Amino acid sequence: MNPYELDFDALLTPGAWIALAPLLSIVVGILLLLVAEVVDALRPLRGVFFLGSLVVAAACELRVVGGPDALVSEGGSVLAGTLLADGASAAWGLVFITGTALAWAFSHGFYGGSEARYKDEHDVLMLTCPLGMMLMASAQDLIVFFLGLEVLSIPLYVLCAFQRSRSTSVEAGLKYFLLGAFASALFVYGAALLYAATGSVSLAELSTTFVADDASPLALAGVGLLAASLLFKMSVFPFHLWVPDVYQGSPTPVTALMAAGTKGAAIAFLLNASFLMPSGTAELLCVIGLVTMGVGYLGALVQEDTKRMLAYSGIASAGTIVLVVAGVLKSGAELEGARTAALYYMGAYVFAITGAFGVISALERDDGRFTKLESLAGLARSRPGAAAALSLFVLSLGGIPATGGFLGKWFVFAVLVRSGFAAFAVIGVLFSVIAIAFYLRIIVTMWMRPADEAGPVSEKASLPAVVATAVCVVGVLATGLAPALFLR
Amino acid sequence: MLTLLVFLPLVGALLCLLVPSSNRALLRMVALGTSVVVAAMGVVLFARFDGASAEAQYVASAAWFTLPGAGAIPIRMLLGVDGLSILMAALTAVLMPIVILSSWGHIGERVKEFLVWMLVMETGMLGVFLALDLVLFYFFWEVSLVPLYFIVGIWGGEKRLYATVKFFLYTLAGSLVMLVGVIWLVYAAGTADIAALTARASALPSETQGLLFGAFALAFAIKVPLLPFHTWLADAHTEAPTSGSVVLAGVLLKMGTYGLLRFGIGMFPTAAVAWAPLFMGLGAVGIVYGALLAMAQNDVKRLIACSSVSHLGYVVLGMFALTQVGLRGSVIQMVNHGLSTGLLFLLIGMIYERRHTRAIDQFGGIAQSMPVFAFFFVFAVLSSVALPGLNGFVGEYMILLGTFQASPFWASIGVLGVILGAVYLLSATRRLIFGPIVHAANAKLADLNAREIGLCVPVVVLCVWIGVAPNLFLGKLDGSIDALAERLDDARVAAAEAQADEVAAR
Repeated sequence: MNPYELDFDALLTPGAWIALAPLLSIVVGILLLLVAEVVDALRPLRGVFFLGSLVVAAACELRVVGGPDALVSEGGSVLAGTLLADGASAAWGLVFITGTALAWAFSHGFYGGSEARYKDEHDVLMLTCPLGMMLMASAQDLIVFFLGLEVLSIPLYVLCAFQRSRSTSVEAGLKYFLLGAFASALFVYGAALLYAATGSVSLAELSTTFVADDASPLALAGVGLLAASLLFKMSVFPFHLWVPDVYQGSPTPVTALMAAGTKGAAIAFLLNASFLMPSGTAELLCVIGLVTMGVGYLGALVQEDTKRMLAYSGIASAGTIVLVVAGVLKSGAELEGARTAALYYMGAYVFAITGAFGVISALERDDGRFTKLESLAGLARSRPGAAAALSLFVLSLGGIPATGGFLGKWFVFAVLVRSGFAAFAVIGVLFSVIAIAFYLRIIVTMWMRPADEAGPVSEKASLPAVVATAVCVVGVLATGLAPALFLR
Repeated sequence: MLTLLVFLPLVGALLCLLVPSSNRALLRMVALGTSVVVAAMGVVLFARFDGASAEAQYVASAAWFTLPGAGAIPIRMLLGVDGLSILMAALTAVLMPIVILSSWGHIGERVKEFLVWMLVMETGMLGVFLALDLVLFYFFWEVSLVPLYFIVGIWGGEKRLYATVKFFLYTLAGSLVMLVGVIWLVYAAGTADIAALTARASALPSETQGLLFGAFALAFAIKVPLLPFHTWLADAHTEAPTSGSVVLAGVLLKMGTYGLLRFGIGMFPTAAVAWAPLFMGLGAVGIVYGALLAMAQNDVKRLIACSSVSHLGYVVLGMFALTQVGLRGSVIQMVNHGLSTGLLFLLIGMIYERRHTRAIDQFGGIAQSMPVFAFFFVFAVLSSVALPGLNGFVGEYMILLGTFQASPFWASIGVLGVILGAVYLLSATRRLIFGPIVHAANAKLADLNAREIGLCVPVVVLCVWIGVAPNLFLGKLDGSIDALAERLDDARVAAAEAQADEVAAR
């Protein structure tokens, strides 16, 4: 068949519509937001459009999770095998949708002055992000993945630099853009080399023909470039250097979105494409993951800025999640368990990290004082609710039971132990002791130190932020206490 | 019944959250009421428990979730009580109302948070003792860390931040190594049910057993704390508020010895037999070293903290003697230490509230101004140094007897500790209580009030009861300890056979 001749009837099967429905509903939401920007009568409805499209998308994803007959009969992938539509990809979609909705709620009332005037554009850009993430997580084709990557990255570049009045925000946007463009280029170059070596960019096709362990050097070079690009997006060592500056400089709600979403989308694809990597790289990935954890946790230990500290902890989380891929490469058979582990880890993570950045953003004033660790002193007295929520989030990030972070950590290390990497698992869990050391610094500051001279302000947080915080709290506890709800 | 027992404190904590923090009286009533109900349930449980059976009783089970990946191992909310846990659960339930009531004297700020954390901790501790699912056990094990972290960190003394972070990191480091062991074991055995694991784990190859035993024992040894992991304890005890110290000494440390017993020895008997000399040695050295540390202290709270190291050395020594008598003695000694050391911490808290110092040389002669206090203090000290007729004697005697059967050498070191214990505790008592009043402030100290006496009386009654009629308590252990000893015998036989084979092969 000539690939340039598209047979739409054959492509758009009933299953394809089911699989595309979440993407389409977000596209409709984006279009409605754009219209609302110019039609004054629709302006009050912007929030409804934003959340509504996400809710509809989530409902559509839930339908995919249920595994409707139309999808099952088409083997879980649609559009000529370029897009996955199975339980895992739909679950990733739900993670991204949740993260976006939460980040958006925290962005309410966050921007002041001139930036508030451009909030419409901010929302459009923000709603575009989950579209890219979902494409990335379900891509079965390198080109589709690249589309997703750019659909996610380009809005993020803009969002990072959204606080134009703050030089650090502009710096963050520029840094992310320059390095991100470089990573995108790596991906395309890698895909080209792989195509040159194998004649295909389709994962479905490659998974039957490509044997990583005796692939040509050309193909392996391509795979290496692809992996480097993904590891860059996930902020894994040695591609993590951009993270602290970008996370710290970006507007906090955007950081929240970036922290969970980008990582999740990249790891989802990395797992789908893990068969491209030779099994001999398992140990290498394990070491990379552990080094990343070390760099992240040790880096976080010495930070005085909460956002920067969480950025380093984000690097460490990326290192943790890479371990799952190492486990898959080692044992091969554990792919399903690894998917569940990665999903659970990121699902719990999205509540905790978005909540943590969210609480900080809700406290933050224009001078950015609240991103400093010591300005959290005495928060437990002036804002006990916020302090309790933030404590819960960092405990979850540290993997203490009763929070989702514990089970996420459990599942990830279970993959490692079952793959025969028990020794690496021990090193990994010991790193989380360092993690707890700096998470405890946050808690100590809030609960056990008196307020500084000015004292934390006690102005009320905006309603959406409070609701979003509550959702995160419920999410963290539910993932920690009632995992049966999420494990399907 | 057990579900209610474990989660009722949590319900109480949630109720406390609903009460406005200004209404301290109501808060305290809710917390005290909850813990009294739990204590009553604990007593009923203890009375009805059939000690002759080795099976878990009052088992409550509910599905929780299924582990992803191969095998689909179900994780259950499985609670049950057997001979190894009954005394610990009952002790926890009975001590908590005392602890909460004692906090009325020294917790004046952020009362609500304090009571919430105390009740959450009670759920965590009861959960640790009653969980019969390994994942659930680990869950409660780590959860119970968090409340004490806040209790020491917010309401503690001057160096509280240092002490609390050290405590948390130390114990967490051990726990996480155990986590890997837990994961490994659960997947290797294909179940998380502790009873099934106990049956299957002894079939694992002995190297695997050894590694797993190491991972578990490290976590428990840090918690106990066994030499050389004891340094966190002195700081945490000294800086904790009185009620925190009482819980720490009374219950939390027992989680370590309980873990060694149920998981270290119970699950990996072969490894336990192989490692027993090391642990007996660490226990015996801990007894003497703790005693020597205690002698050098001027801060009376720190002195009691060091004596804890010494007393828990006995528990470990008796346990790893791996004899029937030694095991029984170590379990009863866990209770004894909880009661007598708990009482000592309570009493020290009471004089600290009056004088705001704990330096021994600031006191002296307070028997004249506080005769009731002096009575209780001397009683607690005598119970601690194992005066015959009181609880400590029963435990130490059984431990030393059991150890002597296994290793006369370590038993004799242990006996040395008994003497040293009498030296430091009695000399501290003399300097604190007797002699002339040197400092004028001590002359007009108010004696204990009714609430404070009420705190001490139940503990005193229990101390005498265990001392006079230990069989009521020891009888509850029979079934489980017999089963444990049987497994140990099997392991010894198997080890001897393996050795014989090796010799024959040569």
